[in-house]
Formats: sequence, C-alpha cells, structure tokens
Amino acid sequence: MTKKLIVDGKEIEVEDGTTLMLACEQAGASIPRFCFHERLSIAGNCRMCLVEVEGMPKPAASCAMGVGDLPPNRDGSPKKIFTKSPLVKKAREGVMEFLLINHPLDCPICDQGGECDLQDQAMAFGCGGSRYAENKRAVEEKNISPLIKTMMTRCIHCTRCVRYMTEVAGVEELGLISRGEDAEITTYLERGLLSEMSANAADLCPVGALTHRPSAHAARPWEMRHTESIDVTDAVGSNIRVDSRGAEVMRILPRNNDAVNEEWISDKARHVVDGLKAQRLDRPYIRRNGRLEPASWSEALAVVAEKLKATAPDRMAAIAGDLAGAEEMFALKDLFSRLGCRNIDCRQDGAKLDPKLGRASYIFNTTIEGLERADVILIVGSNPRVEATVLNARILKRYRQGGLAVGLVGEAAALTYPYEHFGNGTSALADIAASRHSFADKLKAAHNPVVIVGQGAAARADGAAVLGLAASIAAMAMAGKDPEWNAFSVLHTAAARVAGLDLGFVPEGGGLDTGGILSAAFERKIDLVCLLGADEIDMAKLGPTFVVYQGSHGDAGAHRADVILPGAAYTEKSATYVNTEGRAQMTAKAVFPPGEAKEDWTILRALSAEVGTTLPYDTLTALRASMYKTAPQLAAIDQAPAAGIDGVVALAKISGQVSAEPLFSPVRDFYLTNAIARASAVMAEMSALKNSTMAAGRQAAE
Amino acid sequence: MGLFKEIFCWWGGNTWGTRLAIWRQGRLVGEDELGNKYYEQKPGRTGPLGRPRRWVTYKNLSEASLVSPDWHGWLHYTHDTPPTKEDYRPRPWQKPHRPNMTGTREAWRPQGSILAAGQRPKATGDYKPWTPG
Repeated sequence: MTKKLIVDGKEIEVEDGTTLMLACEQAGASIPRFCFHERLSIAGNCRMCLVEVEGMPKPAASCAMGVGDLPPNRDGSPKKIFTKSPLVKKAREGVMEFLLINHPLDCPICDQGGECDLQDQAMAFGCGGSRYAENKRAVEEKNISPLIKTMMTRCIHCTRCVRYMTEVAGVEELGLISRGEDAEITTYLERGLLSEMSANAADLCPVGALTHRPSAHAARPWEMRHTESIDVTDAVGSNIRVDSRGAEVMRILPRNNDAVNEEWISDKARHVVDGLKAQRLDRPYIRRNGRLEPASWSEALAVVAEKLKATAPDRMAAIAGDLAGAEEMFALKDLFSRLGCRNIDCRQDGAKLDPKLGRASYIFNTTIEGLERADVILIVGSNPRVEATVLNARILKRYRQGGLAVGLVGEAAALTYPYEHFGNGTSALADIAASRHSFADKLKAAHNPVVIVGQGAAARADGAAVLGLAASIAAMAMAGKDPEWNAFSVLHTAAARVAGLDLGFVPEGGGLDTGGILSAAFERKIDLVCLLGADEIDMAKLGPTFVVYQGSHGDAGAHRADVILPGAAYTEKSATYVNTEGRAQMTAKAVFPPGEAKEDWTILRALSAEVGTTLPYDTLTALRASMYKTAPQLAAIDQAPAAGIDGVVALAKISGQVSAEPLFSPVRDFYLTNAIARASAVMAEMSALKNSTMAAGRQAAE
Repeated sequence: MGLFKEIFCWWGGNTWGTRLAIWRQGRLVGEDELGNKYYEQKPGRTGPLGRPRRWVTYKNLSEASLVSPDWHGWLHYTHDTPPTKEDYRPRPWQKPHRPNMTGTREAWRPQGSILAAGQRPKATGDYKPWTPG
C-alpha cells in the first residue's frame, strides 16, 4: 500500500512502511541527523531530524515516525510535511543548542575536527552563540580498547556505537547506563571490546567521543590524499580508502560496497597500517658466506638468473603466498612455464582445491550478498568470525531478520549467532551427505541452503574427499530448487588464492604441489625455490635449497632466503585481487614502495630479461591484456559472475577415505595472519590483549 | 698574548689602548674561573657617565659572552658588589655558564636541522627497514 504526502510542496507517493525521513529524502529534502544510521536500528534520541507535520501540534522526529502512523486529514487530502519552515528551523536551533550545552569546545585538539557531523551541522543548523553560562558536564575517560580512543565528555548519546556493537559486531559489550545528564556510554565491566570489527564504532561516532587511537593526532582529514583500494588481509576483498600524506599511509577507512563489505571492515584491515612501515624489505640482499648482505638490483638479478639458467627445470619450483596480486602470479607462472618448470603452486596451505574441476568448485558461489537470502547454513571446518569477519557480520544480519538455521561441523567457536554443533570431527558430514542426519532434512527443505566450506576442511591430507562430501551435500540441498541458486561456497582466507586458482597457478602435468615441493626440497631433489611472498610454509623443510624470496616484509621467508628481491605491499601497487566470491577487484597505488623496492611484476619482467626468456610485456596494461586472455574472468572488475553448478557436480563425484580427525580453522590468531600484520605493533598488542583476556576468562570459568 | 701581537693584531684580544688606560686608572677587582680579569677606576675618578668605569680583559679571545652571569651584573652596573665580595653559591640545578657557540661545532641546531647530529625526529614517510639477523 502506498500513501501520498506533500513534502515542501512536492507531492510524492511512498510505501506505507517507510519512515518520514526516507520519504522526505525521496522528495529531495535533506534532513540532518546524528543518531539515525541506515544500517542500524532506529533510536530516535538525538531529535535533530525534527520536521513539521500539518495538523500536529509539535514537530515530529522524522527518523522514528512511520508514514503509516500519520493520521489522515479530515478531508482526505495528503498530509503536508515541512522541512524548511520557521518552526523546523527554530526546533533545529534548539536541539543544537541543547546538544552543545555539554559538548566541550575543543575542536582544535579533537581528531574528529574536519570530518565531524556535529561541527558541520552546528555550522549549518545551529544558532550563533550559546546562552549557557553554567559549568559543563565532565565524564570520566573509558579504556575500552587499544584501537578506540575515548573522550566521553564529547559524547552526545546518539548510541550509534551501542547499536553497532550489538547489531553488527554481535557482541553485547557496550551500553548506555544512567539517565539524563548522568548518562554514559561504557563497557559494563572494566575491560576492552573483544570484537574483530570494533573500530567501525569509531567511524560511526558523529562526534569525537570515539576516535581511532593508533592514528590519533597524526593527521588532519583535509591534508590527506584519498586512494580507493582493496583490502588483502582476508579473502573478503573489503573495499577500503587509503588515506596517505606524502610518502606515508596514515590510515585506512572502509568504502561502501553493498555487495561486499557494506560499510564495515575488520580491525585487521584498518589497523594493519603501521605494519606497512615496519620490517620493510627496502633493498636486495644476497647471502654470501652464510650472511645476507645488501646488494644492488643488477647483482641480485644476475645471481638469480645465473642460478635459474644452471638449474634443470624439474629441479626448481615456485610457491605464491597469500598477498600476491594476480599480475605477479601471472608473470611468475609465465616465466616458469617458459623455463619448462611445472612445479608451481599458489596453495601454500596445501588446500586440495583443483581449478580443473571448474570455477564453481573453489569460489563462494552463494556470494556475500546472497547470504541475506539464505535460510539454512551449514558451516564446515571454518570459523567465519576470524576468517572473514565482515562476511560473518552478514550472516549475523541475516540471523537477526529471523528464520535462519546454522549448523557447524568442526571446531566450536563463538560466532556471534547461535548454531547447532555437530561435533569437531568429520563424521557428521558423511551422515548429512547420506541423509542420515536431521540437518539433511533441513537443508533439503530450505529454499536457499548454503554450505560454507572453510580452508580448515580443504587444507588436510584428505581435503579432496572432505570437499567432495561437502559438494555432494550442497548438490543434494540444491536439487530441484532455483537453478540460479548455488549452495556450495568455499570460504578462502587468503586474498591471493582465488586469483591464483583462476590463473592456474597450480602444478600441471605431473608437477609438484606445495607439499611435494617441500618434501622434494628436503630430499634434495629440488635445487631452487622461488617464494612470491610465501611466508606461511615450513621453512625448515626447504633444507639446503637455494631460496629466492620476493616480497615486501621481512618475515619467515626473508630470514630463510638466499636472495631477497624487495617488492611492493598492496598499498604501493596496482594489482588485481579476486575475493572469495570470485569478484575481481583492483588496488590502486597510494604511495611508492620504500627504498629500492619495486612493483612485483616489474621485478619478474627484469628477471626474465636477465634469464634470456624475456616476458612479452613492458607495461602493466600489456601484462593485463595478456593475463585476461588466460583468465577472462579477471577482466570483469567489481563483478562476481555466476560460475554455474558444473564445478560443484564434478567435485561431488570425488570420494575417498575421510579421516576422523577434528576440523580446525586455519586462522589461529586473527590479528597475526600475514607478514604485514605480524610487522604491526598495533596488531601485536591486540593479539596479546585478546590472549590475556581469553586466558583470564578461562581461569574465571574454572 | 705578546705585546707585539697586541699592537699589530689588536682585533683578536685586548687593545694596547685599554691596557694603557687600565694601567693608568684601574685597580683589579677580581678574576673569574675562566681567567678573565675585571677592573674598576681608582676611587675618586669617574668616567664620562659620571661613575667609575669598569673593564674586563679577556684571557684569550675578546668575546662578550665569555663573561659569566655573576660578573655580568657587576660589569653592567646592575649591582655594585662584585662576586668576589659575595658568598653566593649556585643552586645544584643551575647549569654552568656557556659562552655563545655560534660558528663553532657546538653551535645550537634546532630540532629537525640537517646539521644536527644524532636522532632526527620522526617525519612523514619514515619506515623501519628489515635487517637480516
């Protein structure tokens, strides 16, 4: 049912359920607000959105008043709404004056200055001065997190942070206590927020009460250059904005993308910034007499080229890490195939995902946005809260709408929403696949079932069989339903993985995979290994092999390397990353790589010339054109093309012996999953805090 | 400083005219820890300003900032009691007098100066490079 309204003389027709504020916005009027936020529940406590409604004695809070609640006019004519009348102007001035009574005048030392809603709206809607001469209220500081700096005197009690933590982050740790002038936002207990996406609360704060502690007093918003980019700390591919000043990345903020991250990012994506400035590889190194010594680019490339020429193709190998962009993986694969080497692998965790089965067998087919339509979700061997925080928030959003059943096979974890736990082992999986389990009936009865398979299930010795079981469950659940709906969803943890699988960065024709390369290296059957940012493999297994490490940060790989080629981090190059849904997205260059470090594909191009098999592209555009011929899906930037169900059907046919070993999430410490995060002091502090809080919680429980 | 140098290279130290005036009219009042000597006109005589003239002769280079604060007050007629007649003890937190170091290696360099030695303050674009071992 629709209803007619006349907003500022303009007649519009809106759905009955819309609020007055949305109706006014549809009519082109802009309504100021503090507490209202599109993605949170309605609170209606700031009173900034007052509008005048014909026939009502007092102005109405438009965010909280539904169009359907308006009483009809006696003669049946549409209600008139005024958003620019003298009454509204006076009401806004009054609200503004009340809000500013207890707000300190410390804009010059406040981090929110320049991007503060209160500042902007005081300018636009406030009156010239204050009539308040009494003492202002002061509120005690709160120590709520190493990531969030509080200055609670500035708080205007909009409760956006409380609603965010409860509704989106899914932890009920922040609240409003007392009332009237004594009202305070606080954690009920003296302890920090334990959420992987708590820092978004500081973004939501319309004033400077909550600001980002790691970037406190470092820069003003107007002096920073904004670069729109993509996050690589997990496989969600959250859209971010990199704010840089000069040669330094100052902060990372989320960017709105309804299909991926809405407007949230995880704390790791945001506060990994200081890792970009620590432990940087800024010059080539060559190991001479057992010690790594600084070298020039020409020396380092000459040493690697000589070694590559002297080694037989089947005695060398390449492993790509979790942060590698598609461009450099393509260049590395191209170089190694020109050299005749087939021992290449991008699955450094040993996941048994096989791109030959089709794209549907290794991507999150449901898509993140599709999760909002799901009604039954089975999670296999994954903890989405730490593996893909923003995606987990999407499941919570769906759960809060009601009618969602979640089942978990694998390690139990606090997922922010309730679920049925079917044991740590794999036994329940076979039962569900054979329809011997009650959850199988739920999946069959569901309209939009989802089977989320984590890397904890894929990266096992029997990973292929576990994946096959999960795919057969998905195929069973999908049978006879909407053909557009694909239930099989692989949740990746590495930003580089899907692009690597798309490019076929896997052993072909009898080549060795990561496990094979490591054991062959240990048995001295391999003489040279190229690591493209691969730090999470067991370096001890490489034995006496000659190791070339190309990457941006000094981590396990750099310590083991014989030659280090310094590359660029994700904020320093334009590279393509494909997220877990198969959505290709491109990062942009915000700053230059430090010191002598170079963009990764240029290093491989220079190396190829040195080896004598020059790669046929001199520019990034030429490389991409060549790459798109191999993997056309990478050309569809910002799209998640449907992959069909053939891949799932092919995967479901794989069967094998499944061991009863428990399934574990591969992310053991959310804050320290990659080389950049491990270089970050903020992430180390958060990790230590989380571990100590968890230990204290366990002690209290005993 | 030899007499020869005082006559022909007078710009580095005391001039022979000062030496002559002090010899004729002055009496020694005291000497500071750097070896600079302080003189005053003999009793009964006054200078052009109607008060006894006061002189300092420097041990080495003529450099006005070599006069320590206690003698500076007497020399500039801020007070009449020379430090030798006072038993003033400097407080423990008072730093010893340092002459003006401009033009020397110890010259003051403000924070961030590229001529300053040691640690420079943090600047935009700084990063910590990885070093092996």
